[in-house]
Amino acid sequence: MNPINTLAALIDKPELLAAADRPEGLGRTGMLGYLAGTLGIFAWLRIYSAVPPGFMSFTAVLLCLLGLNFLMAGLLHLFMDLTGARGGAGRLFLAFGCTDYLMSLLIPMAFFAKLNLVGGFAAYSACVALLVYARVRIVKRVYAVSANKAALGVLLPYAWLGAAAFVASVYSLAWLIWLII
Amino acid sequence: MEEQNNSGADSNGRQPQQAAQPAQPARQEPAAARGGTALWLKIIAVLYGLSLIAAFAVVNRADTARKARTKDMDLSKLTGLQKKKDAVAVIPIYGVISQGASSRSWERGSQQTAKRIRTLAAKKEVKAIVLDINSPGGSVGAVQEIYSAVLKAKAETKKPFIARFGEVSASGGYYVGAACDQIVSHPGTITGSIGVIFSVSNIEGLMKKVGLRNEAIKSGKFKDIGSMSREMSPEERRLLQAMIDDSYEQFVAAVAQGRKMTVEQVKPLADGRIYTGRQAKEAGLVDKFGDLQDAVDAAGEAGGLGKNPRVLSDGDPFENLMSLLDTKLSLRGSAVEQALDATPRVEYRWSGR
Repeated sequence: MNPINTLAALIDKPELLAAADRPEGLGRTGMLGYLAGTLGIFAWLRIYSAVPPGFMSFTAVLLCLLGLNFLMAGLLHLFMDLTGARGGAGRLFLAFGCTDYLMSLLIPMAFFAKLNLVGGFAAYSACVALLVYARVRIVKRVYAVSANKAALGVLLPYAWLGAAAFVASVYSLAWLIWLII
Repeated sequence: MEEQNNSGADSNGRQPQQAAQPAQPARQEPAAARGGTALWLKIIAVLYGLSLIAAFAVVNRADTARKARTKDMDLSKLTGLQKKKDAVAVIPIYGVISQGASSRSWERGSQQTAKRIRTLAAKKEVKAIVLDINSPGGSVGAVQEIYSAVLKAKAETKKPFIARFGEVSASGGYYVGAACDQIVSHPGTITGSIGVIFSVSNIEGLMKKVGLRNEAIKSGKFKDIGSMSREMSPEERRLLQAMIDDSYEQFVAAVAQGRKMTVEQVKPLADGRIYTGRQAKEAGLVDKFGDLQDAVDAAGEAGGLGKNPRVLSDGDPFENLMSLLDTKLSLRGSAVEQALDATPRVEYRWSGR
């Protein structure tokens, strides 16, 4: 089954994710999703000259994306497992890859943003919001939990990262004040 | 395979055969929908591919244009169109002048100040240098290191140096200022104190009181000269006086050379007394009155930039940060440790502060 058919099957019948057997072609589709998502993000970053050109630069973005999603999937699985929900971590990671196709939307968005038709931050935020929504739907299916719990699970790693960044910035500020006084 | 079967069922018109099976009507609807979804996904994939190609084409063109622009800029640099704006550099010399306790680049010792003078004097955009001095002097070696750096920079680059005296610029502070082409001070600045000092405390009596005795095993009779634990001998005093006199001669010669006076003219002024800025101007030790801005203006005029020139900050951001961290983390030892370091030394220093 080619990735498009697998994706179509998952869109039409998301309950396949909760089936006893892993949906056919999920591995390929998920990994291709990460690749497509990375291409979208990389093109966005290149259009904004935020990363240097070249294969190494692309590989770095891909590895970052894979690492971050691996961490997110791991944390989410841990949370679900601790709260009694049952599901597969590997399947979740690959399903997250399928949602990463949405990041390819960043390419046209970057053009629109550069033409001042939409704000750059708004366009990026819209894509991320779409991604989070898709992930909530997927978690709901994979772990057979309520939408609220799925949303909580998906947002927890983001909240954790946000809290860590906040603590780091407060600590940096305190450190700077201590240095100056 | 699944899709082929489904699409085959749709297009080949085999509905009657399939309808015979009991579960078939239930499967038919999602299969048809999946075909529709797959078609949409294929269309989206094609659009995605096209937008990807377009994006990279645009980025590639932008990169090429940027590279071409960089080349143009390089050419303009060669023709002098993008020349850095000329400026006056200000180097602060604050506090007691001494050799840094380490070779760390962010230390504020004499070797780092000398290095700053050399670096800034070598910069093309720096047309004149102001030494912002607020110091009672310091150890002979440290003062002479800065003095020598100024003289060398002047000889090599022919750039004018202006000394600006702040609250106090006495003894070694004046020594450094004397190397400059002009001295600008406030009328109330404390300056002068041209002379050398070597002071040593005698704690023999105190040691006796607490029952402490120092034994020195020495290779020569002068090896523990300047010892705090005993009275200074007349022979040692003569030796030290000769050393002080020699350093004094060097100081007088430096002032005479810098101020374009004769040694005979300087000597009556160089008995260690301090002067106000006004008195120093009358004695020919200072050129004019003014503040830092006046000194910068004078430097601008001497460097051909006119009044109110651009001022180049001396500080390297990294060195400033490291200096700040160093102070806060006490990497160079505590203040108490430094205060207790009372090793006798020959100094161009005014101790009235």
